[in-house]
Amino acid sequence: MEVEQTSVRSDTNSTCEYLDAEGDPESPNLYQEADPDQEAEQQNHSIISELRDGLGTMRDNSALSPEPGQENKGLAASVESLALSTSTSAKTEDSIGGGLEEEYDYQHDSLWQGQKKHIFILSEAGKPIFSLHGNEDKLATLFGVIQALVSFVQMGQDAITSIHAGGIKFAFMQRSSLILVAASRSNMSVQQLQLQLGDVYNQILSILTYSHMTKIFERRKNFDLRRLLSGSERLFYNLLANDSSSAKVSNNIFTFLTNSIRVFPLPTTIRSQITSAIQSNCSKIKNLVFAVLIANNKLIALVRMKKYSIHPADLRLIFNLVECSESFKSSENWSPICLPKFDMNGYLHAHVSYLADDCQACLLLLSVDRDAFFTLAEAKAKITEKLRKSHCLEAINEELQQPFNAKLYQQVVGIPELRHFLYKPKSTAQLLCPMLRHPYKSLTELERLEAIYCDLLHRIHNSSRPLKLIYEMKEREVVLAWATGTYELYAIFEPVVDKATVIKYVDKLIKWIEKEYDVYFIRNHATF
Amino acid sequence: MGAREDEYDYLFKVVLIGDSGVGKSNLLSRFTRNEFNLESKSTIGVEFATRSIEVDGKTIKAQIWDTAGQERYRAITSAYYRGAVGALLVYDIAKHLTYENVERWLRELRDHADQNIVIMLVGNKSDLRHLRSVPTDEAKLFAERNGLSFIETSALDSTNVETAFQNILTEIYRIVSQKQIRDPPEGDVIRPSNVEPIDVKPTVTADVRKQCCQ
Repeated sequence: MEVEQTSVRSDTNSTCEYLDAEGDPESPNLYQEADPDQEAEQQNHSIISELRDGLGTMRDNSALSPEPGQENKGLAASVESLALSTSTSAKTEDSIGGGLEEEYDYQHDSLWQGQKKHIFILSEAGKPIFSLHGNEDKLATLFGVIQALVSFVQMGQDAITSIHAGGIKFAFMQRSSLILVAASRSNMSVQQLQLQLGDVYNQILSILTYSHMTKIFERRKNFDLRRLLSGSERLFYNLLANDSSSAKVSNNIFTFLTNSIRVFPLPTTIRSQITSAIQSNCSKIKNLVFAVLIANNKLIALVRMKKYSIHPADLRLIFNLVECSESFKSSENWSPICLPKFDMNGYLHAHVSYLADDCQACLLLLSVDRDAFFTLAEAKAKITEKLRKSHCLEAINEELQQPFNAKLYQQVVGIPELRHFLYKPKSTAQLLCPMLRHPYKSLTELERLEAIYCDLLHRIHNSSRPLKLIYEMKEREVVLAWATGTYELYAIFEPVVDKATVIKYVDKLIKWIEKEYDVYFIRNHATF
Repeated sequence: MGAREDEYDYLFKVVLIGDSGVGKSNLLSRFTRNEFNLESKSTIGVEFATRSIEVDGKTIKAQIWDTAGQERYRAITSAYYRGAVGALLVYDIAKHLTYENVERWLRELRDHADQNIVIMLVGNKSDLRHLRSVPTDEAKLFAERNGLSFIETSALDSTNVETAFQNILTEIYRIVSQKQIRDPPEGDVIRPSNVEPIDVKPTVTADVRKQCCQ
């Protein structure tokens, strides 16, 4: 293995640099979005309808026609006025709609301005939908500017992707009548910010479905989408609280950055028994598409209908739903949920419940049949009973009670100079990473770790010049990124470790992972 | 759930309906688990919980369905109401608009639920005395005119929550028992299957129902 040492790259932030898309740039594999043609095709195709028809469940499609809402004419006039203006001044005076409540001026709020990350969602008509910080009603001026920027570039037969100014990156995404913008002071690249916006967009689709939202905006371009999204705010806040800007020290950022999920560690025999219990109690249920068992934001088991698989972006939506719904622990839940990568035009219906009061693993049974609640409730009860008898609930609890997986901890401690790593097999969208430990337990240190990984991931997956190997001696770390045919490894070492030792340690780590593979990864997802 | 909880004489499905934010979920959690959550979040989809009570020596298992108030969940509305024998129509005594919308919820019940469903009007958040905007007498009169039972509750301080559920379940039980006396059972109606709760058939129309107030 020949390791070429590269010098530390110094970033010079250019001021007021304006970038736009050049035709249709090839996006890197990791961040591959469906290409426009493929997405257009998918928009008209419905797996759920196909399944429903094929399985002989004839049911009339009751259209979700929203009640015509009251229009805020003052606000609409204000936004239209701003949209027509070519001025980008935030202080544009607007005397139309004098009755409007005086807008709080966030432009001079240093707390609001100082946020590390902002996310804005508006409709193409400039109607505010969501702002991560602050009240979106009070940001109408800013949203007008955003809309003007997007429209201006659009008129030139182009699409705006990013603006870099004053040390802040602004990433733009336009999707089916929506404009999503991320503004960030972090080390995320534009592509990484767009991946985040993609997750936010998928969350909106998950709540509304693409077809419903499209119908709404076709009927009325200036529809206020917030009415339909009300009560879902926490799904967005939780989805976006996955990095250090939320002042939370956790590993959540890494699954998002690598477009993957984490797997709940279990001995092979236990996981097999769990999968079998699900299979045997669900195989006769007609319209069941997926069964997902989750604990502590990690996947225990996934069983699926033959022919169909689940995308990691869809799994992240499921994890998000479970993570911010505490009430699932004390009741059974029946929810419509759209998995946009599976079928963006229709709902699956999810029976959601924790296995038992004394076992905090959450089971979701996803069906195309919205009347399947009792069938699924019965299946869940049988699964729980079977798992209790075979002591699988105990095994899950044993692992849940540990702050981190003991074996993984021992292995990492056994390589004292190894501080952290990310390991992702090429064949699955699953990630193994250890607990955070010294020095990355504080928020500022987590920020630094995040920055290192953002940079490595961006360079490995760079669209114009992807790399297979990076070895870099930084001031406070030695970092390695290695993309082989079978896995990607990103590892962080003490700064004093030399190259030969790094190679030795990496070999040791890889051998151990390969030996323990089936504890930390799921090779194949079983079918019903 | 213990083994005893699974043995029951009657299974009654009761739905909670009303505007978003009136306290439906906390009524449910107070009754089924004696829990109240001050930072209650919007319900996603439909939540389902059970609890058993005793009426006249019979074990009644209440299967209570709590729905999100948001309109995007209308798609699962028909499944929600199917088989329901009782409904708690909840408003917030401190928000007059939620009381004004009671008429709309009644129309929804008429559209989707069995016409003989037993309905109780519930004015929740009675602990907010200083913020009251719906007079008790006004709501009581509305309930009388529409043939509804009426009660005011506070899920926060537990006032009347137990009573509300006990009363509606007792009323449903009386109707079912009365039907059994008048029409001898042809099949086994004592222990219905787990999947479908009992369907309430028409009884004599009562112009005036017993009032249950605080």
